[in-house]
Amino acid sequence: MNDIATPISPASPNIAASTEAPIMTRPTGELVLEARNLDFSYGKTQSLFGVDLPVERNRITALIGPSGCGKSTLLRALNRIYDMYPGQHATGRILLNSEDILSDRGSLARLKARDGDVELNESGLDTSALRARIGMVFQKPTPFPMSIYDNVAFGVRLHQKKSKAEMDVIVERSLKRAALWDEVKDKLSASGLGLSGGQQQRLCVARGIAVEPEVLLLDEPASALDPVSTAKLEATLMELKKDFTIVIVTHNLQQAARISDHTGFMFLGKMIEFRPTAELFERPQSPRTRDYVTGRFG
Amino acid sequence: MDRALRRKLTNGIFVGACGLATFIALAALVLILWSLVKEGVGGIDANIFTMTQPAPGSPGGLKNAITGSILMCAGGMAIAIVVGILAGTWLAEYGGQTPYGHAVRFLNDVLLSAPSILIGLFVYEIMVAHLFGHFSGYAGALALALLAVPIVTRTTEDMLALQPNTLREAGMALGAGRGFVIRSIIWKAASAGLLTGGLLGFARISGETAPLLFTSLGNQFFSLNMAQPMASLPTTIFQFALSAYDDWRRLAWVGALLIAVAVLAVNTIGRLLARETHRP
Repeated sequence: MNDIATPISPASPNIAASTEAPIMTRPTGELVLEARNLDFSYGKTQSLFGVDLPVERNRITALIGPSGCGKSTLLRALNRIYDMYPGQHATGRILLNSEDILSDRGSLARLKARDGDVELNESGLDTSALRARIGMVFQKPTPFPMSIYDNVAFGVRLHQKKSKAEMDVIVERSLKRAALWDEVKDKLSASGLGLSGGQQQRLCVARGIAVEPEVLLLDEPASALDPVSTAKLEATLMELKKDFTIVIVTHNLQQAARISDHTGFMFLGKMIEFRPTAELFERPQSPRTRDYVTGRFG
Repeated sequence: MDRALRRKLTNGIFVGACGLATFIALAALVLILWSLVKEGVGGIDANIFTMTQPAPGSPGGLKNAITGSILMCAGGMAIAIVVGILAGTWLAEYGGQTPYGHAVRFLNDVLLSAPSILIGLFVYEIMVAHLFGHFSGYAGALALALLAVPIVTRTTEDMLALQPNTLREAGMALGAGRGFVIRSIIWKAASAGLLTGGLLGFARISGETAPLLFTSLGNQFFSLNMAQPMASLPTTIFQFALSAYDDWRRLAWVGALLIAVAVLAVNTIGRLLARETHRP
């Protein structure tokens, strides 16, 4: 139960109440996913405060910040996985290809209560279908207790009826894209639980991309991996951004600097600075960002 | 006394106490099994499985009791597994934290330790006294089911609660519904634990006598008709062990040995199956 996003500890009031505007450099390219003025609450504890996050297509967007700053919470809001837990609410707008995914009655009511009159129509959005368009990979590898083949085929089978031959093609292509094919092609019917941690994580990536999502969310995917597996995973992600859009939460600043195109620095539930990665790391504008990326705190 | 020595001594005493306790528990078990084997093996012959229970002094076996036990245990377990796994799943995945869920869990725990004779009386009152009007194998199976349900429910809930939430989230993140995730991923991940629940339930009911005395009564003839009174190993053991006839008492020992062997065999097979399906 404790392996989900850490609920944020209530911020000290003087910092939480600070009205410092986020320093945002919006991407110039097409946005596939965008959070606007997003609040998030775990029950009565609010852990995101008016966060904006533009996600550019076919780029890697990294979210960094100290533990409990809301990175994982933001990520979990983007595919509405928090819906599983009663009492967790997102308020604001999340646009996937300009379509609002926070358009159920409850979310709209909260948005109205917060922002007054908003022009939004309730839509019967199917969150299951939504999640097929936004894949997610977790901190700990989560292979299902079934064969490697079935792991990859799991999501596809949910949404489409495929022949064995078509499925073979999908499984092979997904495993190849996740750079796992060569290691498992001779044991596709073996259990996914028998793979090493790094292989399991790439299996989860393969499973996520098999359904051809538009966006892939990764929540500290390398934190349980050794450096060699991490390098492999990073190479995989760099390759994947040709076809997918990636949002990655990471504690590893070098990792963010190495692989991402845009980086958002979050602190106490707010987006402090969001800019192209090189600029953010080389010329951070907010003193908080500077302190964090130079290792003075965090 | 210096500190390291004291720690060593404390450790030694504790480990020794653990060892002694284990020895006592195991010794009792070994003694029971030993007396079962010693008294029971001699009485096993082909007649045990081919002939029904005899009149004192004539040759006979336990065919009617073995068949009855198998039928009623199987019936009881079929009910208990379906009800128990569904109830345990509901408690672990859906309503376990609601007031109703807490009430269900509490009552289940009460049932877990309810005296089996009460369960027997309960089923007697419903099935024997009213519904059927006479003793029957169905009533026996239901009584056994009521004994096994709380065990299966409890184990199922505990085992499902052990599955990490990220596994559920991973399934849902692919677009699966909650129920589908539970059926196709969580049950599978917990399959060894669910099986354990079934085995514990079976072990509990296979030797139960009191509830069967009130429900299936016993039957000295061979019968497959569960709507009629039905023989079972425990009730036959009860009857024969208390009798004054040596050949009946020998059959009682054989029956007890058969139950012990059956529980052992089912457990072993279950463990092997669980290991097989969980081998990475």
